[in-house]
Amino acid sequence: MLELADYTFYFLAALVLISGIAVITAQNPIFSALWLALTMIGVAGIFVSLDAWFVAGVQLIVYAGAVMVLFVMVIMLFDLRHEIHAFSRGILSGFLKLASAGIVLGLIVGTVYRSAETVFAPPPVETDKMADVTKALANTLFTKYIFSFEVIGVLLLVIAIGAVTLSRIRGGTHASHD
Amino acid sequence: MNALFAVILLAIIIITFGVFLLVVSGRLGPKRQHSAVKDMPYESGLPGTDTKDTKVSVKFYLTAILFIIFDIEIVFMYPWAVTYLDSVKAGAGIYLLGAMGVFILLFVIGLIWEIKSKALEWD
Amino acid sequence: MGVDAFETTINVAKMFVIFLMMVQAVPVLVWLERRGSAFIQNRFGPNRVGPLGLMQLLADAVKFLFKEEFLPKKAVAFLYYAAPVIALVPGALALASIPLGPPIEVAAFEMLGRQMGPYVFKLQGYDIGIGIVFILGVSSLGAYGLLMAGWGSASKYSLLGALRASAQMISYELALSLSLVGILLVYGTFNFYEIIAQQQGPLRFMFWGKENVISWLPNWGVFFNPVGMILFAASTFAEANRLPFDLPEAEGELVAGFHTEYGGFKMLMFFIGEYGHMIVASALLATFYFGGYGIPFVSPANIETFFHAQGFGLTAASALTALVSHLALLVKVALFLWVFIWVRWTLPRFRYDQLMDLGWKSMLPWALANVVVTAVWLLVANTK
Repeated sequence: MLELADYTFYFLAALVLISGIAVITAQNPIFSALWLALTMIGVAGIFVSLDAWFVAGVQLIVYAGAVMVLFVMVIMLFDLRHEIHAFSRGILSGFLKLASAGIVLGLIVGTVYRSAETVFAPPPVETDKMADVTKALANTLFTKYIFSFEVIGVLLLVIAIGAVTLSRIRGGTHASHD
Repeated sequence: MNALFAVILLAIIIITFGVFLLVVSGRLGPKRQHSAVKDMPYESGLPGTDTKDTKVSVKFYLTAILFIIFDIEIVFMYPWAVTYLDSVKAGAGIYLLGAMGVFILLFVIGLIWEIKSKALEWD
Repeated sequence: MGVDAFETTINVAKMFVIFLMMVQAVPVLVWLERRGSAFIQNRFGPNRVGPLGLMQLLADAVKFLFKEEFLPKKAVAFLYYAAPVIALVPGALALASIPLGPPIEVAAFEMLGRQMGPYVFKLQGYDIGIGIVFILGVSSLGAYGLLMAGWGSASKYSLLGALRASAQMISYELALSLSLVGILLVYGTFNFYEIIAQQQGPLRFMFWGKENVISWLPNWGVFFNPVGMILFAASTFAEANRLPFDLPEAEGELVAGFHTEYGGFKMLMFFIGEYGHMIVASALLATFYFGGYGIPFVSPANIETFFHAQGFGLTAASALTALVSHLALLVKVALFLWVFIWVRWTLPRFRYDQLMDLGWKSMLPWALANVVVTAVWLLVANTK
């Protein structure tokens, strides 16, 4: 007997799969990016169905709301006609696509195969309170993984400085004017 | 679990409503002759140019990238903020404050650097 | 299965109600905005159609419905039509997760020949455990509608307007989400019901491990986090693209910004999205900083006892309590909505560089300082 939860899961899974396939089949890169955003939203829904509420929220805020917005913005403002031709035609790019898809597939199959017991085991404890899950997450993050946490801070600082420095380089159309 | 179903349901209701309105207003409106001039995008009466080769200031991209970085830092503060009061009451407040203090310090260094390097300057 | 089907039906009904609430609030707000602006500018505003011009909105809706369909020649049809629909979604999704009143406790009753157990009916679309994070996540999706509209309508004004709008939106999202960290520190939970429950009674705070009570002030978040409140309110103005932050549609420079090419009902849908943002912002402001559905000095339990004493049954007393509390929330929300309108017709618009400076160089550091000060204060206050 299928329950409501199952229907929601199948709906979300179908959404993620269809939009994921649409990402790679869409001709126009803008549509690819928009489909990818929809995929991210679907993945956030699947996180919710796994009771990982905070991770779902982060997925929405960071991936769907920030990273993909940047992608869409950048793609909309570049003249991508050359790139469309470069990436959708030719034997080399076709081979690259197949190869990268194969690598990802291999990684997923490998992970599932090697950790089948963990993946297919029933969930350990049913926690009713979502806040407790987040608090448990925070407790682990700030005790066991405190070093990694601070390193992330440094990493983000480096990225911020790097991005600004890169935007300063006057190459391309600016180079001839200087 | 029911909450997820409700969210999806509400999204579907809204999208259906929006599409319905689009279709209805499309059907009800008058059908008049279209001409090349009428179908032009509004650009103050000048003939519309192709938008796809618009050159846009790199500032916009930079803003978006910096937004992602700071957004991730803020997201890390959320679980911290939720547990902070409990930890303070349990006596571990100093430790958590220190842990986040270092992180916020890095945040501040980044922000000061952005401001000093005039990356956030719009002219 | 019986209970499941019952719950599902309730959910479906709730979703429709929430959705209708948002959609029908918009014409009223538009009317209020037009009359309010006329009042501020010492003119009449719409006062011909119906009493006080209230029928004007109906006439407008009919007019919009009969507008000619228009699609710019080089526009990408799918994006052009999808954008206004997408613009509706974030506001409604966020609104549905805000509690509109205390839960109604329905005693066991019989329906369709079956015994229905005691049931708690929440005056809320859905109870998401991480309420605040969910709302931030959903409202960050608002940028897509703008970008799709701007690029899809193949007009330079639209594209530049969308670009500005999305850059502004993401800049102020930082200050918005950072200002909420302060309130999270104070209350230590993501759950709206718990946040509201902690704001009941007189102002009560800890200092050096001792509890102090100020009996003539309500226990509202604004007293714990005034800077956070101001930052939150200001950045919601920017998120909703309202004056003084309505740079994306600065008519002197960009005609109408990202919706230059839209007319008729399609433009009205962008409007509904914008007003939806306003309603959500006002409701959040009330929930985080002004006690939500709570009435100052009176807890829902008090009200319920009062109605109980008047001879109402358990369910009826609970429902009446919810109604009274809901009205309290509505009063607060209406007040904030009026502030939104008031500010729009009072303040001039920023220049774009001033806007970005304000977001990155003033509001972000202030929000950060607010977080640090709140954290240190909490530490000091709770240490014996």
